[in-house]
Amino acid sequence: MTSTTMNSTESKQLPPYPAPTAQSMCAFLAEYATRLFSSGATCIRLEKNVTRIAAAFGMEAEMSILPRHISISVVCPGSGHSFTSVSAIREYPISFAVNAGLSRLSWDIADNHPDFSIIQQRFAEICSSPAVPRGALLLLVPLANAAFCRLFGGDAVAMAVVFAATYAGYLFKQLLGERGIDYRLTVIICAFISSVLAAADGLFGLGTTPQIAVGTAVLYLVPGIPFINSFCDMLDRHYLCAFGRMTHALVITACLSLGLCGGMMLMGLSMF
Amino acid sequence: MLTEILQDAFFAAIAAIGFAAISNPPRAAYLYCALIAAAGHSLRYAMMSVPTHGLHIVPATLLAALLIGFMAVLLSPRCRVPAETFLYPSLLPMIPGIYAYKGFGGLVMCIYRGSESTFSHYFYIFASNSLTCFFILLAMAIGATIPMFMMKKITFTATR
Repeated sequence: MTSTTMNSTESKQLPPYPAPTAQSMCAFLAEYATRLFSSGATCIRLEKNVTRIAAAFGMEAEMSILPRHISISVVCPGSGHSFTSVSAIREYPISFAVNAGLSRLSWDIADNHPDFSIIQQRFAEICSSPAVPRGALLLLVPLANAAFCRLFGGDAVAMAVVFAATYAGYLFKQLLGERGIDYRLTVIICAFISSVLAAADGLFGLGTTPQIAVGTAVLYLVPGIPFINSFCDMLDRHYLCAFGRMTHALVITACLSLGLCGGMMLMGLSMF
Repeated sequence: MLTEILQDAFFAAIAAIGFAAISNPPRAAYLYCALIAAAGHSLRYAMMSVPTHGLHIVPATLLAALLIGFMAVLLSPRCRVPAETFLYPSLLPMIPGIYAYKGFGGLVMCIYRGSESTFSHYFYIFASNSLTCFFILLAMAIGATIPMFMMKKITFTATR
């Protein structure tokens, strides 16, 4: 991460306003980095954005990214002052709107050097950007899973069953999420509900592809983004973070399998 | 054949839009996610469906993921979003869900069935499906991330 700090074109001009202190910059960058991480950014993007912001104020930033914490050190070359901040990564739903907004903010800081108070205000605005409405998600996710079922060779009945099973499972996911239930437990319960409902296709002899219906009904719970982010981090030699993300994804997959297995056992379904 | 490829592209696009919604992207990104997923998934389908010379699902996934990766990186500056915004929802329709399901089923049946011959049968189902699932995931991840590292400048200035 050393090559991108001070030698880039991003830091040609210093801001016309009084620069923030290294201490306040360090606190801001710690908050920025943890929020960007939670929104689904990879480690390389985190490093690029954080060093870009620090360089825009004539400072250098170094960071170490751990699975649950981020440590940032900011050095002010003129005064020689340096500050270190260690922040816990809080759990937020993955949001590419926040990810994109924070990345744009870093470029705006590098190119236009806005006042530090304006930066903080814009950061708060981006972080509070609205999520996709619940109702829209309850339509789009089951529709996507039904399309998924078709891609795997499911017939029209299987698609309809998967739509209903996903609708019920996703509704429970939202309700349990609102009540602050542990995400792993939520995944087990939702996979159980979806697989029990999807078993209707086979139990009542509705269609010709009942196995595809059961197999697809739980796929909306697959942690695709942590899986792919872990590979991306691995390619960038962030092995510890890659391992953390991969382990998290595997734990969620195990919970999903547990719920699916429970649902099938209850319904007396054989997997083959 | 063409109708089947178009159908595949259509359903992949719907799947991509739905899965994109879970990760709350900017509104302008939905159309690109649908387009990229349709192109990638239908390419994989076409490569696997060529009579007598159809590719195996793993190399076909690798090539489709490469296409998705290149399209995501090259189109991301148009929307001023990180390439990942397009990349992940477009890749998700290729997740090997049925292989994972059958692999897991084989494992469960291994535990339940006692005799050596049935155990060997289900262990074969478990191993072949799990390995295929693993290599598809690997091909997806490697194929999609290589373009990001090949075109780092575009990838990390897309939001400028």
